[in-house]
Amino acid sequence: MTWWDALAAAGAVPAAFAPPASRGWTDLDDGALPGAELIEEPDLAAHPVTSPALVRAACFLDGIQQWKVVSYDGVAPVIRAYVATAARRRGPNRRPRTLLESSREFAIAPLASMKPAVRRVLETTCPDVVDLPLDRDGGLQPGKVLELARRVVDGARQNLEREIAERSLAVLGPEEWLLVDGLLSVSGKLAAHPRALGVIKSHGAQFFDGANLERALTVPAGHRTSVFRARGGHARNEVYSWYLRLWPWEGQDLLYGLLRIEARADAATVAAASAISGWLCAERAPLATPDARWDRLLYPLQDVETYLKARAPRDLLSAPGSRLPRTGS
Amino acid sequence: MYGVVTDGFAYSDLPTPLHDVVGAEGDPTRAAEAPTARQEIRYWTAAVLRQTPEEPLQPVPIGQVFVASDADVAQALRMDGYLYSATPSAIPIGLYTAAGLESPVYLDADFLIGPEAAHLNISGVSGLATKTSAVEFLLASIFEHFPAHKGKVAAVCFNVKGPDLCFLDQPGALSDEDRRRYERLAVPSRPFERVRMYAPLKADGVNLNTLRTHADLVHIVEPLTWGLAEVVDYAEVLLNRDDIDAKADAFIDFLRDRVLARTFDDGFGGTHRVQTFADLDRLFRAIFDGLELTSGGRSDTWRTHHIATIRKVRNRLSNISTRCKGLVTDDGPSSDLPWGAFEDRAVYVVDVANVDPLGQDLVFARAVSKLREHLERRDLGVDAVVVFVDELNKYAPGDGPDTYVKKMLLDISERGRYLGLVLFGAEQFRSQVHRRVVGNAATQLFGRMDMDELATPGYQVLSPATKIKLATLPIGELMVRHPHFTQPIFVRFPKPPVLRGRDGVERFPPAADLPFDDAVVRQLVRLDRRIRPNQVKDLIAERDEDDVRRALAAVRRTRPDDVLAYFRKVLGGRVSTDIPRERTAVPPLNPIADEPY
Repeated sequence: MTWWDALAAAGAVPAAFAPPASRGWTDLDDGALPGAELIEEPDLAAHPVTSPALVRAACFLDGIQQWKVVSYDGVAPVIRAYVATAARRRGPNRRPRTLLESSREFAIAPLASMKPAVRRVLETTCPDVVDLPLDRDGGLQPGKVLELARRVVDGARQNLEREIAERSLAVLGPEEWLLVDGLLSVSGKLAAHPRALGVIKSHGAQFFDGANLERALTVPAGHRTSVFRARGGHARNEVYSWYLRLWPWEGQDLLYGLLRIEARADAATVAAASAISGWLCAERAPLATPDARWDRLLYPLQDVETYLKARAPRDLLSAPGSRLPRTGS
Repeated sequence: MYGVVTDGFAYSDLPTPLHDVVGAEGDPTRAAEAPTARQEIRYWTAAVLRQTPEEPLQPVPIGQVFVASDADVAQALRMDGYLYSATPSAIPIGLYTAAGLESPVYLDADFLIGPEAAHLNISGVSGLATKTSAVEFLLASIFEHFPAHKGKVAAVCFNVKGPDLCFLDQPGALSDEDRRRYERLAVPSRPFERVRMYAPLKADGVNLNTLRTHADLVHIVEPLTWGLAEVVDYAEVLLNRDDIDAKADAFIDFLRDRVLARTFDDGFGGTHRVQTFADLDRLFRAIFDGLELTSGGRSDTWRTHHIATIRKVRNRLSNISTRCKGLVTDDGPSSDLPWGAFEDRAVYVVDVANVDPLGQDLVFARAVSKLREHLERRDLGVDAVVVFVDELNKYAPGDGPDTYVKKMLLDISERGRYLGLVLFGAEQFRSQVHRRVVGNAATQLFGRMDMDELATPGYQVLSPATKIKLATLPIGELMVRHPHFTQPIFVRFPKPPVLRGRDGVERFPPAADLPFDDAVVRQLVRLDRRIRPNQVKDLIAERDEDDVRRALAAVRRTRPDDVLAYFRKVLGGRVSTDIPRERTAVPPLNPIADEPY
């Protein structure tokens, strides 16, 4: 018997609700105001990437998160969550193989709002329960609980990613790079490593305004912007960054094929920015289809995501159509 | 769970080929430059051959897959029952090859030669399917592995085209790989040790009508000649569909029962003893003359048979002696297969490649019927006979008239297994052979097939991948269906250990036809090496050739100790051709009275 079956047996109402944000995570701005300090040159400029590019030996790191409400104790949702991260090394045969991976499956619930009997069952049957401390004045609002749960899941995934990333750095070969899907600046070790790159596909945080913003968001395909120091926003550790356009955006939208790259805050990064950008442009093939984000998603990172999804619990996310009312038979 | 791969698929995460075109920026030369290889899987479907335990029937579980060993192959194909039994009856057919492993595959003699099931059919395109080679190898395998408890076995092969089966006793070139396969299958890589060949004579009545006439090889070739008695028994073969009627049948029966080899009064004052075509023709002439003279041409029946029927039968019978001169002797005794003295593990090749199609039908019909008769009486000399017939498309077509040969092939197919009369048939287009002939073949082999043929309904049970494999099958590989095998199996067999027909003709070119007297000498010398050619030439000088042929046939049939003396005796003394004296009639002493008593 699973812990959510045990909850149902204890009197909780079974549920199968996967909120829209439960199948992935967003890179939205967390509210902090970002800023940029140009490093390479006084004004933001577009530079062609180096071509032909030198493709480098690399490991690729990505994570996934999945969660859903599996029961309600009164109006208190009990959430089952799963996060996983893997680093996959691309071998000489050009095929990725898993280097390191880790996953965590846990429950999230506002324990203080639950009936004692149901709470006891949850705590005794589920080995990993995360409590959601609620604001006493706000009372129990299911929508707010779900938003808090999302943050818990995000945090769990980021912790896992950071852990795997830092362990990966320890086993990287002397010429090997680590490409992380997301921010490099979340980890001091990552941010300081000479062969670690963060690849950011979402652009919720804007580092420029005015003419520089226009140059950044209209950089042509096969070009990068000047290197700048990213400040604020997600950047808890200092990194250098630049924008890179993989595919022509004309006829699409401003962010089409646009990546932001993070690397160690070092003069060597500025010198290598064009070569690194050329390499990343070479990673456009094969296309990361059928993912809708293929214009910004590098195929090896998609491969990690596919790998993790394939190993995720099959019963966690309901199949489409399963929310139809159940028939009597 | 044992299975055999039947189909293969490849899946990748590429939604459409266009995505890779875009990824390579439309440049085909950059298609392989992607730093990461796309994820791709190969997915194989397999047909279940056997599962243990067999009950209850269960779906195939997900599990590890292993390449089959020899023991696994024996289990999977249910060969263990006849391979490891106290009385094994396994006949190697070839090697199942997969992933570098080779495992022998065996047929069950009880289902190949009888009595449980029998017959073998092999299909494939001409030249690439190696049908003849497969049968030659299988015969070698049968001769080596036919179980002792099942008795003796022999083979009768009809050579219907070129020199295909003319050199079965001569070694062919084998590669080391072939020898290794022979060793693996425990079949000796040597040609057949006991081969007897039969070929009709040419129209001259003394030279053999075969491509195996080289001086070094001709000693095993026996003439095949039949006389009237042999032909009349199978007169139905000679009649086409328009001829088949009760009247002709009745008249032929009358000849067979009342006339042949008996002293017979024609009713017009003549007495006949019909033993040859010449005797028969004399009888026919006597009948026609008698009807003409006695009734002034007004009567058109003789012994209840209409003159038109008599003329038709005469026409057909005399026609065969003309069209198949050399096979059918117009005036003389026959030389035939050794009925009653068949040897164990011997191959009897009947070369009818150069015989008129009508004659081929006759040879085939008579030989197989005689085999059947002797097997029924258990006095053939062996317990089972494999009859190899190529070109079933010609002899047993699915459509067309019901010929005597087709009816006989159907009869063998349906009842031969009880007698030990086993048909190994080969054809290009299985779909165009009579369904009951191929359907009764318990073992079916398929070589390289034509795609058009594979598109016919008979092949619907095969998966598309199997059809593609059949259409591209290399030489030396066959697909086997056998009652014990729940799925078709592909096997590889070694090249047969005999000289191929074309190579044989190159290495042993046929001898030119000899003059009449030299041909006679050669035949007699073959029977008795002490005979000096000049003795024979002196003996037959200025003798009628028909007399010489008749004497030669008698020697062949009798096989006397002193060949030359017997030949001289049968040939008879030289009789000078005196003009007969005119005989004057003696008038009666008294005039014949009107008084009838």
